[in-house]
Amino acid sequence: MTTESATGNIYDLGYQGYDGPRLGRPVVALGLLRHTLASAYGIGRGGRAKIAPFTLLILSLLPALLAVGISALAGQTGQGEVLTANSPIRHETYQSLTSTLIMLFCAAQAPELFGRDQRYGVLPLYFSRVLTRIDYALARTGGLFLAVLLVSIVPQLVLTIGAVLAAPDPLTGLGNDAPDIPRYVAVSLLSSGLLAGLAALIAAWTPRRAYATAAIIAAFIIPPIIVALLSRLAAGDAARALVLLSPGDVIEGLNAAIFGTIADGSPAVMAADLPDWSYVAASVVGVVACVLLVVRRYLRVTG
Amino acid sequence: MTTPPTRPTPPVPGWPGAPEHRPVATPAAATAAPVPDGVVPAIQVEHVSRWYGNVVAVNDISFALGPGVTGLLGPNGAGKSTLLHMLSGLLAPSAGIVRIAGRVAFGDPSIYADIGLVPEREAVPGYLTGREFIRLNADLQHVADPTAATDRAIATVELSDAAGRPIRTYSKGMRQRIKLAAALVHDPPILLLDEPFNGMDPRQRLHMMGLLRTMAGEGRSILFSSHILEEVERLADAVLVVYAGRLAASGDFRSIRRLMTDRPHRFTIRSSDDRTLAAALLGHPAVFGAELTDGLLAVRTSDYGAFTRVVAPTAKAAGIRILELRPTDDSLESVFSYLVRR
Amino acid sequence: MTVFGALITVTLRALLGRRRIVLMVVLAALPILVGLVIRLGGGRSDAGDILDALVIRTVLPLIALIIGTAAVGSEIEDGTVLFLLLKPIARWQIALAKVLVAAGLTAVLVVPPILITGLLVGGSGSESIALAFGYAVAAILGGSAYAVAFTVLGIVTSRALIVGLAYTLLWEGVLAGLLVGTRFLSIRQATLGIAAQLTGTDVGVDPLAPVVAIAIVAVVIVGGWSLGVIALRRFQVRAGD
Repeated sequence: MTTESATGNIYDLGYQGYDGPRLGRPVVALGLLRHTLASAYGIGRGGRAKIAPFTLLILSLLPALLAVGISALAGQTGQGEVLTANSPIRHETYQSLTSTLIMLFCAAQAPELFGRDQRYGVLPLYFSRVLTRIDYALARTGGLFLAVLLVSIVPQLVLTIGAVLAAPDPLTGLGNDAPDIPRYVAVSLLSSGLLAGLAALIAAWTPRRAYATAAIIAAFIIPPIIVALLSRLAAGDAARALVLLSPGDVIEGLNAAIFGTIADGSPAVMAADLPDWSYVAASVVGVVACVLLVVRRYLRVTG
Repeated sequence: MTTPPTRPTPPVPGWPGAPEHRPVATPAAATAAPVPDGVVPAIQVEHVSRWYGNVVAVNDISFALGPGVTGLLGPNGAGKSTLLHMLSGLLAPSAGIVRIAGRVAFGDPSIYADIGLVPEREAVPGYLTGREFIRLNADLQHVADPTAATDRAIATVELSDAAGRPIRTYSKGMRQRIKLAAALVHDPPILLLDEPFNGMDPRQRLHMMGLLRTMAGEGRSILFSSHILEEVERLADAVLVVYAGRLAASGDFRSIRRLMTDRPHRFTIRSSDDRTLAAALLGHPAVFGAELTDGLLAVRTSDYGAFTRVVAPTAKAAGIRILELRPTDDSLESVFSYLVRR
Repeated sequence: MTVFGALITVTLRALLGRRRIVLMVVLAALPILVGLVIRLGGGRSDAGDILDALVIRTVLPLIALIIGTAAVGSEIEDGTVLFLLLKPIARWQIALAKVLVAAGLTAVLVVPPILITGLLVGGSGSESIALAFGYAVAAILGGSAYAVAFTVLGIVTSRALIVGLAYTLLWEGVLAGLLVGTRFLSIRQATLGIAAQLTGTDVGVDPLAPVVAIAIVAVVIVGGWSLGVIALRRFQVRAGD
C-alpha cells in the first residue's frame, strides 16, 4: 500500500469478500487426505524430508525386483518354473520380509503427520473451518494408512507383474498368480491398517517427535519378543491368548491364515496354535480400536 | 569506523525495493566510537559474506568496532541475526574473516571468555532455577568467585527475587534478563545482543538501556541489533544500517545524514516575518525551496553547512528576528527510510 | 565446581527429565516383569534366553538410543546447546562429558535389571550368578559403545533416532544375519561375543572372538568420541535461526 503526498493515491489491496460457490466438506477432507499422503513421502516439503520414506520404499521393493530379475534370467536358461516355486521371495513370504521396513516407516513418518499440528498449535486453524474434528482425524489416519499401504502392496504388485511377464504368455502368468492377488491385497490392507492405526494412535497422543518415535518402535518390537519368551517358557491358555496383543505376531498369523501357510516367522504364533479366524478378528478389532482412539484424541485436544 | 566502498547495487531478486542510491563514501566519516590506529579493535569484520545456496544472507560487510554502544539496525530478514551469529563464532562466514579481539571467531573457543552473547531464541533450560542457571554459566566460564559473580549478575538484571524459581515460570521479559545475566556473569569486554528489548515492558527497557550505557562507559564494546528505530536512536552512539544483507551506512546517524548530499535537507523556521525571510533566502544558491505553512517557514537546501552559515546573516540583513530554527528531517527515521527507499 | 563437573551435572540434569525417566524405567523394568511372570507361572527357567533376546538385542540398544540421541541431540533441537558451546571450553572436554554421562547412565539403567532378572529366573546358584554377571559385563561394554555411537549421531544429524533405529533393526537385526561378514560392523555381535565368552552360553551363529569383540567396542568408543569432537568443533547454528 503506497501513499504519496504529492498525488494522494491510496490503493486498497485488502481483504475482499467471496460470495461464489464453495466446495463442500467432503472435498476439504479429501484434500487433507491427499496432503497427508504427500507429506508422508515428503512431497512438498523439500529434499531432506524425502530421504527416509523413499529409502524405505525402495528397500522394500528391492527383494521383489531382485526376484523378478533372477527369475527372468533363470527363464532364459529354462529353469524359471523351478526357481519361482522355490524362491524365498514369494507373495506369502513378502510380509515378513518387509515388516521391519514398514515399522520404521511408521515410526519415522507418523510423528511428523500427527505431531506437527499439535506442537505448533495450528489445530484451531483447521477446526474453525468446515472441516470437523472427526474429518481431520480420519483424513490424517487415512493418509498414513495409504502411505503405508504403498510400501506393503507395491512390491507384491511388482512380483505379479514379474510373474505375468516371465510366463510364456501373459494370460497364463496372470492365471498362475491370480489366486494370490486377493490374498495379498487382503493381507496388505489389514496389516497396513493395523500398523498405521497403531502408529497414528501413539503419534496423536504424543506430540513430541522423539518420544513418539521411540514409543512406536517400542510398541512394535517389544511385544513380539516378550510374547515369544512367554510362549517358550510359560504355559497356559492366557499365555497363548497374549499373542493377539502383539501386532507383529497378529500380522504373521494373519498372513499364515490367509495364505494357508505356517507362520514359521513367529515362534509365538506357532506355539499358540490359535484358530485362523482369531487373527483376522484381532486385526479388524485392532484397526477399529485404534481409529476410534485417534478420533477420541482429536475430539478432546485443544489448541 | 570504516565505510564500505561504493558499488552499484543491482536489484536482488526476492528483495523488492533494494536501495538504488548509495551515499558517496568519505573516508573521514565522523564516528562516535573511533578505533585508534595501532589498537586491535574489539570486533573486526572484513569483507564477510554468508550465503545458503542461492540465497545471500550477508553480502560483503566490513566494519570495525571499539568501545561504546553500536546499534545494528535493519528490517527483519536483513541479515542481522546471521551477522551476530558469525560474530559469536556460531556460524562460519562463506567468505571473509571475523575477528574478535584479534582472534578469528569461528573455531576458537577461547574468544568466549571475552564475549557475552544474548541470543534471540529463548534457548534457556526451563528446569533450572535462575540462580542455578547463572551459577552454571559462572562455573563453565571458570570465573574466579562464582558465588559472588552469580549474585552480582542476578542483581544487575534485578532478578534477585525470582532467582529461586525455575526458568520455565518466567515471563518473556524475565527470560531476556536472565539471558543477559548469563552473558554478564564473566564480565566480558564485548557484548553482543540480538534484539534484546523483545518482550520487555517500557520500564524494563529503560533499565536495560541505562545498564548498557553504563557498561559502555566502562569501556566495553556493545553491539545490539534491532529493527525498532527509536531504540537504536536512543541508545546507540553509532549505527550500522543493514538492508538485504548489505551494509547501507555506518557511523553516527547525523553524520550519515550529512553525507546524503543528493537529498535536500529540510529546516523549519519561525521568525518575525516569514514571507520576507523566504524571499531573501531564496536568493541564495544553496536554497532551492521555501514553503509557508501553518505559520512556519519550511526551507529545503542542498548544502547543510552553507545554509547554517548563511541563515543568520540573511535574517539580520533583512531586519528579521529568528525565533526558532530546527532541522526537521535529521532523525534516524528519515535517514533510514531514505536508505531503504520505502 | 570444576568445569568438567559442571558439564557432567548439566548433562545429567538435562537427561533425567521426568518423561524420559519414565520411558527408560519402563523399558528397564520389562525384563524384570517378564522374569517375574515366568517365575510365578512356573515355566522353564532359561535366564540366558531372556537376557540374550530381550535385553541385549532389544532393551539395551533402545535405552542407549534414547539416552544417546538426547545427550546432545535434544539440546541442539531446542537450542540450549548454545550456552554450552559459547564457553571457553575445549570441545573434546564437552564431548567427553557427554559420552561419559550417556555410557554411564546406560550402564546404570541396564545392569540392575540384568542382575535381578538373571537371579529371578535362574535361581541363586553360583552358575546363575556367573551368568548374570557375564551378561552384565557384556552389557556395560556394549552399552557404552551404543551410547557413544548414538550420542555422536545426535550431534551430526537431526534425525538421529530414525537412523539409530534403522541401524539397530535393519543392519544389526536383518542384514548381519544374512551376510555373515558384516559381523564385524555390528555392536550387537560384539556384545554377544563378549557374553558368550564370559558365560559360555550359546548366542547363535558363530560368535566373535572376545579379543575381536573388545577391539570393536574400543574402536567404536574412541572413534565415536573423536568424531564427536570434530563435529562439535565444526558446529554451526542451523539456517533460519
